[in-house]
Amino acid sequence: MNRSGDQLTQLFAQFKAAVPDPDPSANFMPELWRKIESRQNVLIRMKKLTQVFVATAAAICILLAAMSLPRSASTELRGSYVDVLAESHPAENLAAMGIIPHEGFEANRK
Amino acid sequence: MLVEFEQIQKAQAGDDVAFNQVVAAYRKRILGTIARLIGRPEDVEDVAQEVFLRLYYSLDQLRTPEVFEPWLYRLTVNASYDYLRKQRRRNEARMSDLSEQQVMMADASAGGKASSEADRQKQVKDLVDSLLSSVSEQDRILLTLKEVEGLSLKELEKIYSVNENALKVRLFRARQRVLNVYETSKKRTGKSGQNKSQLE
Repeated sequence: MNRSGDQLTQLFAQFKAAVPDPDPSANFMPELWRKIESRQNVLIRMKKLTQVFVATAAAICILLAAMSLPRSASTELRGSYVDVLAESHPAENLAAMGIIPHEGFEANRK
Repeated sequence: MLVEFEQIQKAQAGDDVAFNQVVAAYRKRILGTIARLIGRPEDVEDVAQEVFLRLYYSLDQLRTPEVFEPWLYRLTVNASYDYLRKQRRRNEARMSDLSEQQVMMADASAGGKASSEADRQKQVKDLVDSLLSSVSEQDRILLTLKEVEGLSLKELEKIYSVNENALKVRLFRARQRVLNVYETSKKRTGKSGQNKSQLE
């Protein structure tokens, strides 16, 4: 190590002696506990806010679900599955597709 | 270890009395390390309280009490780093190179010309503080822990969780940078000293 390097090492050693470990003030522990408690309060407030947010979101979901319910109920009230199927596939179409005999269909019409 | 493992375990379990005992055992050492890391006596207690605050809220994450000390040092390093970063933002204009006066005063102190011990200590403190401000906050902390606090590479390895070779390289570069600033300032001071003596 060169001369400057040695001087720097010496300087660092002198620095430790120049800045000894300071004694904590009488207020150190009370102030620390005050900070711990204030952080705790912030955390509690955040937890409460989160709970309120989750509860609001759940309420909105339930409300939206309730609003969409009557619409689906009205379709169900229109009749059974077979009725709905028959309505959407008129007999003319079925006869044209050859699913039911054409003659039967004509006789029924008369 | 300055406290028994049992006390740390009690503090982990939420025993505030045990936590107080742990803080009381370590606070002087932590205050000293922070004082030498940040170089601002007025803010040392605030940073130390931040360290113990972080300790309180993360104590449950400590897996084994054996690694408590390196872990506490890591919290100290992180809190000091956060402080230095904020400080740099507040005070961007701070000089990174040494003033001639500081180097001359340090030289005088080395030669025993300082007016008193307190003055000499203040000069050394200001000089080292200025030298360390020529490197990044991370390097300043690393260099202080190694050169001033006297931590071994093994201890630093545990604190930083990086391998010894990476630390050696980083330390070497940081020290070289500080040494260059020191030598440059000394040369400049030498020249200005010569000029002054010629004028006289």
